[in-house]
Amino acid sequence: MNPHVDFHAFAPEIVLTVTIVAVLIADLFTDDSKLPARIAALGVLGSLVPVLTLAVDGQTRSLFGGAFVVDPFSLVLTGFFLVAGYVTLLLSFDYIGEGDYYQGEFYVLLLTSLLGMIVISSARDLISIFVALETITIPTFVLAGWRKHDTKSNEASLKYFLIGVLSSAVMLYGMSLVFGLANSTVLVDIHKYASGHTPALFAVAVFLTLVGFAFKVSAVPFHFWAPDTYEGAPTPVTAFLSVASKAGGFVALLTIVRLGFFPSGNSWQPILWVLAAASMTLGNLAALRQTNIVRMLAYSSIAQGGFILVPLAVAGDVRGNAAWQAVVIYILIYGAMNLGAFAAVIAAARRTRSAEISRLAGFGRTNPAIAVMFSVFLFSLAGIPPLAGWFAKFVMFRAVFDANTTVAVVLGVIAAVNSVIAFFYYSGVVRRLWFDEPAAGVELSSPRLPVGLSAAMGLMTAVILVVGVYPQFFARLGEIAFQRG
Amino acid sequence: MTEFYRQYLSVAVLIGAAALMFGAMLGAGRLLRPNRPQPEKFITYEAGSDPVGGWGQSNVRYYVYALLFVMFDVEAVFIFPWAVNLKSLGVYGLIEMAVFIIVLTLGLVYAWRKGVLRWA
Amino acid sequence: MWEQQVAFWVLAVAMAAAAIGVVRSRNIVHAALFLVVVLAGAAAQYILLAAEFVAWVQVLIYIGAVVVLFLFGIMLTRAPMHDDAGALDNDQRWGGLVVALFVLGVLIALLVNAFGGKKIHFSNALVSLGRTSHVGTDIFRVFVVPFEVVSMLLLAALVGAVVLARKD
Repeated sequence: MNPHVDFHAFAPEIVLTVTIVAVLIADLFTDDSKLPARIAALGVLGSLVPVLTLAVDGQTRSLFGGAFVVDPFSLVLTGFFLVAGYVTLLLSFDYIGEGDYYQGEFYVLLLTSLLGMIVISSARDLISIFVALETITIPTFVLAGWRKHDTKSNEASLKYFLIGVLSSAVMLYGMSLVFGLANSTVLVDIHKYASGHTPALFAVAVFLTLVGFAFKVSAVPFHFWAPDTYEGAPTPVTAFLSVASKAGGFVALLTIVRLGFFPSGNSWQPILWVLAAASMTLGNLAALRQTNIVRMLAYSSIAQGGFILVPLAVAGDVRGNAAWQAVVIYILIYGAMNLGAFAAVIAAARRTRSAEISRLAGFGRTNPAIAVMFSVFLFSLAGIPPLAGWFAKFVMFRAVFDANTTVAVVLGVIAAVNSVIAFFYYSGVVRRLWFDEPAAGVELSSPRLPVGLSAAMGLMTAVILVVGVYPQFFARLGEIAFQRG
Repeated sequence: MTEFYRQYLSVAVLIGAAALMFGAMLGAGRLLRPNRPQPEKFITYEAGSDPVGGWGQSNVRYYVYALLFVMFDVEAVFIFPWAVNLKSLGVYGLIEMAVFIIVLTLGLVYAWRKGVLRWA
Repeated sequence: MWEQQVAFWVLAVAMAAAAIGVVRSRNIVHAALFLVVVLAGAAAQYILLAAEFVAWVQVLIYIGAVVVLFLFGIMLTRAPMHDDAGALDNDQRWGGLVVALFVLGVLIALLVNAFGGKKIHFSNALVSLGRTSHVGTDIFRVFVVPFEVVSMLLLAALVGAVVLARKD
C-alpha cells in the first residue's frame, strides 16, 4: 500500500522548497534585483510557522517506517537552523547586493543548504541522513567560491570540495558496512544490532562513519581545510559554514550516535574522546597565533567544536539525557555567538577594509557601538558570565561531572585548561578594540551600517544577554528536545 | 545454472564477441598502418577550427552540456523504478514523480534563460 | 555454483588489473578508460550478486555519466593527453603502496571475520529483490524524503555549476 503522507509533518520542508523554486523563478523572470532576497527572507520566516504549529500540536510523527521522525528534538533544531539561516540572510543582503554577485543563485544555494539542515533534524535513517548531509554541503562548495575572480575564494572552494568529497566517500563506506552488518539503514534497527554481539568490522564501520563526520564538523585532525576555506569564502558564507553547516554535522552525529551506535560504546566513545581533546587543544593553540580575525575565528570554531564533542564523548556514562541536552544547548548558544562574531567582523571590515586584527586597534573609540557588540560576542565565546557562553560551558562540564569516570574527568580537565587558553586570544582582540591607539587610515565618517547587518548584531547580542541572565530559556529547550512526545 | 544467469550469459558472450571483433579490427589496422607520431595529432579536434587558447584544451561551454546530461541521466535512473510500478503506485507515485521532474526541468529552464545553451 | 566462482575470479582479476592501470597509466585519458573497465567489472559483479537494478544504474550513471564528466574535466584542464613521463607522478609510490597494503590486509581480515562463514543462497526471491520494481517500491514508499530532496540537490548542483561556468 502507498503510505499515508502527513503533510503537516513536512510543512517546513514544503514551504522552504516552494520558496527556493519561487526565488529561482523570480530571478529568471523579473528584473527586480531585490525580489529574490525578499522572497528568501519571507520564505524562511514562513517555514517557521509550521514549526510552531507542530510544536503546539506536540505529537511525535513517525513516517516511512521510522525513517523520518518529527519530534521535539527535530522541531527545536529545525527552528534553530531556520533562525540561523535567516540571520545569515540578514548578513548577506548588502554584501551580495553591493559586490555585484549573482544574487538569485546565491539565495537558491543558501536555501537549498538550509533545506538539507531541516531535513537532517528529522532524518532517522542512514540514507536520509547521507542525502541531507550532501544537500547541506554541495551548495556550500559553490558558495565558498562565490567571488569567482578572487584566487583565495577559488582556493577556499577547491579545498573544501576535495575534502568534502573525500569525507563523504569515507563516511559512505562506513555506512555501507553498517548496513551490511545490521541489515537495515534505519537507526532503530542499527541500535538493536549494536546491542548484541558485534564483530570487529562493526567498530571499523563506526570509525569510518565518525571520521566522515569529523571532516564535516572540522574536528582535529580532520580540520586543516577549515581555516583556508573560512578565510577565502565570502564572510557571510563563512558565518553560515561555521554555524549552520557545522551544526548540521553535529546534529547528524548526535542522532546517529544516540539512536544508532549507542549500545556499542566501546566503538565510538574513544574516537569522540580523542577528537574532542585534539580539537580543543589544537584549535585553541593555533588560534593564539593568528593575526587575521577570520582565521582566528576559524580556529576558535574548531575549538568550540571540540567543546561540543565533550558531552558526546562521555554520553555513554551519563544517565538520562544530560549529555544530549548539553550538546543541543551548546549548539544553540554557539550559533548565536558565532553568527554575532562574524556579523561584527563584516561590520568592522566595512570600516577598516581589512580582516587583520592589528587594523582593529582603537576601533572602540571610532565605532563604539560595533565594538561593544563585538566584545560581547568575543567574551561570550570565552565563556564569561553573564553572557550566554558561560551556560554552554556549564552544561558541558555538568555532563562531565555526571559521567564521573576517569576518562571523563581527564577530558573535563583538558576542557578547563582550554577555556583558560581561549580567554587569552578572545580578550586579546577586545584589548585591541578598546585600549590600543587607532590605526591610521581607518575611516571614521563611513556610511551607515546596512539595516540587515545591524539587526543581526542587535538580535544576537540580545539573545546572548537574555540567555546569559535567564539560561532557563535554553535549558528548557534542551529538556523539551528529549522529552517523549 | 539458473535462468537469471543464463540470460546474462548471452550478454557476456555478446560483450566477448564485441571485444574480439574490436581487437581484431584495431589489431589489423596496427599491423597495416604506418607509424608516424606527431605532436599535432594530440591537439583537440574542435569542429575543424583551431582549438581555443587560454588555460584549457576545449571550451568551457561544453561542460554545461555534460552537466545537463548527467542531471537528466540521474533523473532517468529514477524514472525506471517508477515506470515499472506505475499501476501500483497510482496517483501517489504520479505526484511524487511530477514534483521530481518539475524541479529538474526548472534546472533546464534556468540554463536556458541564463543563455548558457546559446552558442554566441 | 562453481560457474559463479569462476566468473567472480575472472572479473575480479580483470578489475584489479584495470585498477592498477588507472594509477599506473601515464596518459590521463587512458587512465579514465581503464576506470571504465573497473566500473564495468563492478556492474558485472552486481549481476553475479543478482542485484540487477544496481548493475544497470552502475552502467548508466558511472560509465555513462561520470566517465563522460571525467573526460570533459580532462579536456578543460591542460593535462597532457599524450604520454608525459613525470608530469603525473607525485613520487608517493612507496608510501601509497604501504597504505594500500595495510588497508587491504585490515579489510580482508575484518571482512572474513565478519562474513567469512556466510553464503548467499541463490533463489528466485533473491533475484526479485534486486529487480527494478522492488527497488522502485522502496524508493517511493520508504525513501520518499531523500528522493525528493535529491531533486533539489541536483537543481542546486546545476545552478552552482552554471554559475561557475558562466563567463560574465
